[in-house]
Amino acid sequence: MTPTEIAVVVLLVGGVFFAVVAAVGLVRLPDLYTRAHSTSKSETLGAVLALAAVTIAFDGGLSTIKTALLLLFMFITNPTAAHAIVRAASEQGIEPWTTDTEEDQS
Amino acid sequence: MGSVTSSRLLVPVSESKTLRSTVEHAVRQAVEHADESDRPASVHFVYPCSQRLTFERESESESEEIRTARSLLERVTVWAEEDRGDDEEAVTFETAMVGTREYLFSPSDYADALVQYARKHDLDLVVFDPGFNPLGTTPLLPPLENEVRRAGVEIQEAPVQRERRTPLLVRRATLAQFLSLFAISYGFYLLLAGSFAAFELATGAISAGIVSVALWGISLTTPLKPAQAAVRFGRFVLYVPYLLWEIVKANVTVAYVVLHPDLPIDPEMVEFDAAVWSALPVTTLANSITLTPGTLTVDVSRRHFTVHTLTPDSRDDLLSGALERAVRFVFYGRAAARIRSPLERQQTEDEE
Repeated sequence: MTPTEIAVVVLLVGGVFFAVVAAVGLVRLPDLYTRAHSTSKSETLGAVLALAAVTIAFDGGLSTIKTALLLLFMFITNPTAAHAIVRAASEQGIEPWTTDTEEDQS
Repeated sequence: MGSVTSSRLLVPVSESKTLRSTVEHAVRQAVEHADESDRPASVHFVYPCSQRLTFERESESESEEIRTARSLLERVTVWAEEDRGDDEEAVTFETAMVGTREYLFSPSDYADALVQYARKHDLDLVVFDPGFNPLGTTPLLPPLENEVRRAGVEIQEAPVQRERRTPLLVRRATLAQFLSLFAISYGFYLLLAGSFAAFELATGAISAGIVSVALWGISLTTPLKPAQAAVRFGRFVLYVPYLLWEIVKANVTVAYVVLHPDLPIDPEMVEFDAAVWSALPVTTLANSITLTPGTLTVDVSRRHFTVHTLTPDSRDDLLSGALERAVRFVFYGRAAARIRSPLERQQTEDEE
């Protein structure tokens, strides 16, 4: 394998790992706010690593620039979307889960 | 009124919605004057204290009013430096409080205090903020302006829009803003198209035209200053690796927490006032918070942030203010980065 291929594989593995973490977090975490953590962060990094792999794989040219731009927009839109969802939840008066809530229930 | 220019300005400040534009107006005037005459200009921002400071009070702890005054003057200085740009030689700023030795009641008390200060520092023009009203309900400005004028000091009211109930999303924009927006959209279109064929040039011009007509008054609300934008972009390039590193750390933390069998989380809402002031820095900070260790911006109104934090560690990180400092560095320069962190600010408040 060439060094480029190794880099691509490493980035892809990282991307998949963080995407899986995002999915696991979505299932395991208790409420909307904590789930938003998992999706906004892990999902961003997962997608970004995958796109970075694509950028390297394309090896220069216009496609690289386009993927790099896509990467930039991921960084701007993902947190904004998470923020919009969480803010809407907060305005609806949904109480965040805390460790106290858990003790009350058990 | 507009023809009066001066290189030594006095700007009385008090909390008001038009203060930001007044500062901008005064600083612009000083910069223009300094450019024309080639002599350094100076702007003094003065906060008139309505209460007298007794000796005991000074030694004990600062009164409520002094604290407000300090933080307001601090903020005004950052604004002024932002408007001035990088030419530090041309315009200097001073801040002061007047009326600390007496009680100020009537417009003439305020006028006396201001005129006295102006004489002492050889200032020849007072620029009033139309929203300047330290007395609260009673209208103070017209009689105050008369008194100051009678004392022989030139006055000027900053030509800014008076406050509105709801801020307008669409503001008046200049042709230069239209053209810069057009250029940016056109350039971006061609970059994506990847060629300069006649077809791309034509469709690009049409699209960019539509975009700039529709978003003319919304997306570039202040005139683009190329020099300042370049400096900010440079600092932003320094900020990106730092942010990336923080993101990687964030993800390792979240991955650890999510995959840990016990799910060790302790979520909590945290609220704090960030020391950043205009729309773009606030947006940058809000997005950066969302991207970094276990913190998620829930709501922002002006400068007040509500942040959901996943673990105690992430709370400490957030309040230690490293991110906030970095964002301030990007937008206001190195001096502003030294403002204290949210935690320190909170502690000072608690002590008092």
